[in-house]
Amino acid sequence: MEGVLANLAVGFAHVFEPVNLLVLVVGIVLGLLVAVLPGLTLVMGVVLALPFTYSMDVTAAIILLTAMYVSGTYAGAWTSILFHVPGEPIDVPLLWDGYAMARKGKAAEALGWTLIAAFFGGMVAAVVMVLLSQPIARVALTFSTPEYFAIIFFGLASVVSLGGGSLANALISLFAGLLIATVGVDDTYGAYRFTFNIPILSDGIDYLVVMVGAYGLGEVFVRLEQGFTSAQLEAIGRISTKLPGLREILAVKSTFLRSGLAGILIGIVPGAGATVASFLSYGMEGQYGRRRAQMGSGIAEGIVAPQTAATASVGGAIIPLVTLGIPGSGATAIILGAFLLHGLQPGPQVFQTSANIVYAMFASVFAGIVVMCVIGYFATKPMVKVLDLPEVIVSAYVVMLCLLGAFAARNNITDVWLMVIFGILGYLFERFRFPITPLVLGVILGPLAETNFMTTMISFNNDWTVFFTRPLAGPIMLVGILTLLYPLFRHLRRQAKMRGSRDIAL
Amino acid sequence: MRSAFALNSVAAVVFALSGLAAVAQEKYPTRPIEFIVPWGPGGGADQLARKIAPSLEKQLKVSLPVINVAGATGQTGLNKMLTSPADGYSISIFIADTLAVLMDPATKWKLEDIVPAAIMIRQPSAFFLAQNSPLKTWKDVEAEAKKRPLKVAITGFGSADDLHVIYFAGKGFKFTSVPFPKPSERYTAILGGHADLLYEQLGDVKSFLEGKQMRPVIIFAEKRFPAFKDVPTGKELGRDIVINQFRSIAMKASTGAPRVKAVSDALAKVAATADYKAWLKDQYAEEDSFIPASGAVAFMKRELDVMRKYAPKK
Repeated sequence: MEGVLANLAVGFAHVFEPVNLLVLVVGIVLGLLVAVLPGLTLVMGVVLALPFTYSMDVTAAIILLTAMYVSGTYAGAWTSILFHVPGEPIDVPLLWDGYAMARKGKAAEALGWTLIAAFFGGMVAAVVMVLLSQPIARVALTFSTPEYFAIIFFGLASVVSLGGGSLANALISLFAGLLIATVGVDDTYGAYRFTFNIPILSDGIDYLVVMVGAYGLGEVFVRLEQGFTSAQLEAIGRISTKLPGLREILAVKSTFLRSGLAGILIGIVPGAGATVASFLSYGMEGQYGRRRAQMGSGIAEGIVAPQTAATASVGGAIIPLVTLGIPGSGATAIILGAFLLHGLQPGPQVFQTSANIVYAMFASVFAGIVVMCVIGYFATKPMVKVLDLPEVIVSAYVVMLCLLGAFAARNNITDVWLMVIFGILGYLFERFRFPITPLVLGVILGPLAETNFMTTMISFNNDWTVFFTRPLAGPIMLVGILTLLYPLFRHLRRQAKMRGSRDIAL
Repeated sequence: MRSAFALNSVAAVVFALSGLAAVAQEKYPTRPIEFIVPWGPGGGADQLARKIAPSLEKQLKVSLPVINVAGATGQTGLNKMLTSPADGYSISIFIADTLAVLMDPATKWKLEDIVPAAIMIRQPSAFFLAQNSPLKTWKDVEAEAKKRPLKVAITGFGSADDLHVIYFAGKGFKFTSVPFPKPSERYTAILGGHADLLYEQLGDVKSFLEGKQMRPVIIFAEKRFPAFKDVPTGKELGRDIVINQFRSIAMKASTGAPRVKAVSDALAKVAATADYKAWLKDQYAEEDSFIPASGAVAFMKRELDVMRKYAPKK
């Protein structure tokens, strides 16, 4: 224990060397930028930064990439809350309560909650990462494809049943998303599906295009129809509250704990990262939270759950990377590349051979979270000011952000047209009361669900019962199914009650 | 029509002149050479490029900016090189996985479209067991595979990994390929006991071998590998299939022979350095990995023939 703390102190000493500190701040800022831009995902950002680290000292290289990873899970929330454009797939769940809270004129509070959530989630995971890395690393090995499928199934099921609207519409929306996700070359057998001989389609439809179009552009179309006349935004500039008070935070402490733990766990297992953590945590809150009935109406829990889990997944994903040499997420896979390029092999021996670099990495997570939160805190005020601008102008910027995002995804103009089409689809969904989220969720998680399902079938000789008989997958699948059936039960009970009360009236 | 003809003849003259000028000069290279890596940063192809680019710059006396153009099993980056002029100012990493794509007759490019300047690294592959597996030797594995199906973690169907599994399945052993495209998931599968065997290059799982988490039981190479003297080769066991995981430097086929030779000679000098040899050793690669331009084409053709031999008939 003292050994760990002493090592960590040495790690901090490395991080606070002037050059490394500069690298850390640059990394945090880059991560924030990448997260804010909808076309650049966090993983892509880390990939783009990797070649710049080749000529760096190995410690600086690892600090830069780790810092980007930390802040990349945070800033996408800003655009979700302010513009209804998720900067990262991680931030889709923030569109419900985050954006709803902002539309009530409490944008500053919503941003404050994300800040606290990112801070708490990041810190708890970092502590777990430092103290418990070795004992809990083996959790990463217990998950196989049936477990991943079960987790994703639960994520899909909980979001479908959350909407509160028509379950049938939510399911239609989800399946449309899953269908869109099948376009392209199938991952397992290489079959061409729905490509119509259009080259770009054989590469699939990028979820970024659907996400940015359906949410960002779709929302602009809705506002356009109303003639850009939302009134409630006027009050925003005068509101100065930012961070929630201690009492408010304590009121949702169980949400913090639950989603922090979920984030760490999802981070540790290699097949799922911050996005799955964020969705799963929001879904859990909708099922088990104290105020589950109000989820989606702009309550703090709905912001805290996804953000805490997303940032907590960072510490989680680093655990198997350094202890087993297995990256827990997309971004850590790139960081593994950086280790290898500098001739270092993460794995059980790394704590003996290059402990100083590992602890510098650990220390950079702590320092990175603090720097990120300081920058985030000071960025809140000018950002909220943006909403003081006339809605038409904000919308113009949103459209620009969407076009840029769609193009940046694959540098292809076809994606821009696809994005516009999905924008129109998003508008129509909104108009005819189909929820958009299941659609987008289907596109994001569909390929993961499919490959994990297929691999399970291949691995277990087409025996579908393994999803229910394996000790971890079984219970998760069961909860998923109950989640899906819950709205039906609720409906039946309400009908029974209504009939009951009518009987009394008669 | 006439003007078109005139234009053509002008073009022809200009072309001929420029050709003459090129012959007269024959100084190559005079400006930076674009070094394409058709895979993402951090992987094996990228590591090779970053390793040799600085030494190659010293040899050729121009800079070699490395650019990553990932996608479609290396074909996106390959395409970038094939659509550039054949003047030797665009070279690319070319690896076995991309060669394997040629097994599909619908592939839009041919092996004749490229000319390898040199094979730079060849890594033997092996089947691995988890360290704690009750099976000890390859004989044990084969005996077990007669009794129950064994799951083999591979990168994907149709890959060199899969061909090895198909080879053994053809000999009556119950092997099932289970595809895990992401390395992290593949290694989790074997370490977590979700698969019985793993197919991989020795160098790619170095940390797991050093950390005593997994061990090779059969190595597919011409002779025993020095670092694993106790592990038999497939050949010794009568399982004679060798598909090399190679990484080469390729140029566009119509590039003038002197330019290809210039690059090939420079690469030979790089490969002869002690630093490069140490790196090969560190990567668990064959000591005699290097094959110059003269032998590289024949090598690739032979590899492709082996792959075609074991590929499932469609």
